[in-house]
Amino acid sequence: MPINYLEIQKQVIEMAERSPARQRKQEERCQRAAQLLEAQANQLDELRQKVESAAAANSSLRCAAPFKEALTFCKDAPPFESSAVLLAADGSQIHPDRHDAVQFGVINAGALRMQPGSGEAPRETVTSRLLYHDDLEPPDGPLTEEVVALMRDLEERNLLLQLAKQDSDQQVVALTDGPLEPYVRDPRERQSIKKLFEDYFKNLQELGSLGVCLAGYVDKPGADLVVRLLEIGEMSEEDLPHAERHRPLRGLSDADLLHSRLQPGQRSAVFAIQSPAGEYFNGALALHFFYLNVGRAERPSLARVEFPAWVAREAALVDLLHAALVSQCRQMGARPYPYVLHRAHETAVVSMLEKQHLSELIALQLRQHGVEPGDLSNKQFGKNNMGSRTRYKQ
Amino acid sequence: MNEPIEMGRLLRSSTAGCVVGCRVTQLGAPEFGGLLRIPLGGQDDQVYGLIYDIHIDDDGIVRQLVTADTVDAAVILDNRINRNVPVEISVLFVGYRQAGKIFHLLPPRPPLSLDAIFPCSAEDVVQFTGSGRFGYFRHVLRSQEAPVGELLAAHLRQAGQAQSAAGKPQWAKDATQELIVLLRDDYPTLMSVLSALSDAGLGENAPAGGVQ
Repeated sequence: MPINYLEIQKQVIEMAERSPARQRKQEERCQRAAQLLEAQANQLDELRQKVESAAAANSSLRCAAPFKEALTFCKDAPPFESSAVLLAADGSQIHPDRHDAVQFGVINAGALRMQPGSGEAPRETVTSRLLYHDDLEPPDGPLTEEVVALMRDLEERNLLLQLAKQDSDQQVVALTDGPLEPYVRDPRERQSIKKLFEDYFKNLQELGSLGVCLAGYVDKPGADLVVRLLEIGEMSEEDLPHAERHRPLRGLSDADLLHSRLQPGQRSAVFAIQSPAGEYFNGALALHFFYLNVGRAERPSLARVEFPAWVAREAALVDLLHAALVSQCRQMGARPYPYVLHRAHETAVVSMLEKQHLSELIALQLRQHGVEPGDLSNKQFGKNNMGSRTRYKQ
Repeated sequence: MNEPIEMGRLLRSSTAGCVVGCRVTQLGAPEFGGLLRIPLGGQDDQVYGLIYDIHIDDDGIVRQLVTADTVDAAVILDNRINRNVPVEISVLFVGYRQAGKIFHLLPPRPPLSLDAIFPCSAEDVVQFTGSGRFGYFRHVLRSQEAPVGELLAAHLRQAGQAQSAAGKPQWAKDATQELIVLLRDDYPTLMSVLSALSDAGLGENAPAGGVQ
């Protein structure tokens, strides 16, 4: 059945009618946040202290913390004149599906290496790992999407590390898409997740020891890390233990606040991230970020760029990252996004057709070894047949 | 003797023609109007064809890249070498060779997917175009898809040079005369062909061997 348009149309109209009021409210929040930003711009020590106090009382607190620059700081992109090697890795996966005829999963990681100005053609690398038999049944629980996603993140970093080692005599900028902090509810919950988590950090540490300028690029960020900092900043010391309840700017994102403040190519101040994962991301791995306007004057486009402390502490590395990202985004014309990351994604992505081919290949090999592959579930069979009508005499 | 350089592989075909795919970096060899050959099986049998269209498709990323103020040289190389966007070359079959003998007829069977395609050497061109009496022109003249006048002009210019170098400077003039005979009842096509030949310096009064 299609959508009940009669029913949903009323809701669409209602949504549109309520939108102007919501927009006005958002503008008010934005004005308020801008005032707070100006007022607290140079109170770095005081803000840092408040974030620490709030975090001590609330272990799940997630917000920005001042680093070295004023909150209102912004900087034009330096020219990208470096001969640095640019690496980007991305991953995709096939989740094992019990409704499929053959039970398997795939972790695919793709990377692109390019060195602008060298005259060399960029180089693609792909690694594919088949998950089968015992891989699909870890002893400590099911192979959930969360675990597969963590395995994929690890493969991406492994590929970056492997490529970075090949260019260890040169400055390397290594990019991945999304935050550097992997999404795991509690890594201590399961042994298999804990192991992956530990490998992930070991990998980051090795990248750090190679001096790689590592970053995660978050396109169209929706986070409110800086906004949360401003909310905490206006609280009194006594109220800080209840910081999680003080949300006057709820609904406002950092991008809403900063998109008109950053000119094309400019970055914001560097901030540290206060997060529950700080337990793992500490020392040289402590996460930092800046916002970057990769758009044009008539169409700003903000990204959040996350990087570890070993990058944040070196002004030259922050400048290199800033310049490389602006230069890469400009390659993509009207829809700015780092070219090298786009190509890594293109290299890594596994299509539905490829999944089907791989499934057929596995079934064929199983039969050659005298093992009959399973069958599609009846539910999946029915889904596959949806929409395929046949006509009498055709 | 040098090994011939493969210029691409067959994507799809019929007994009338085929489409060849190659990377942009392989694009140096083929030329509009050029004669090429596709070996059939293990024997010395070949299918001959004329290139009548070369086109380069775009995709989403290429359309996006053209909106950039400047495109980095590395990005251009990446798109030409690594990305899976082939150049497609359309070929009109004009004859074949079987058991050492050349026929200006359509091949007995089409070549198969992924068969390798090679440009013809000057020697091959002289041999194919010098065999018989321009019988292969009828495949070109019958074509609904090829720009007939332009294709013949390009082919006659290239083949005329090869024939001239092989000591047959009269070939281009004879070929033009043959076209006039074949098109005597089709005035619009004749005029279009003669106009193209004239632009290529291959009209009736052009020097033997065409423009050098």
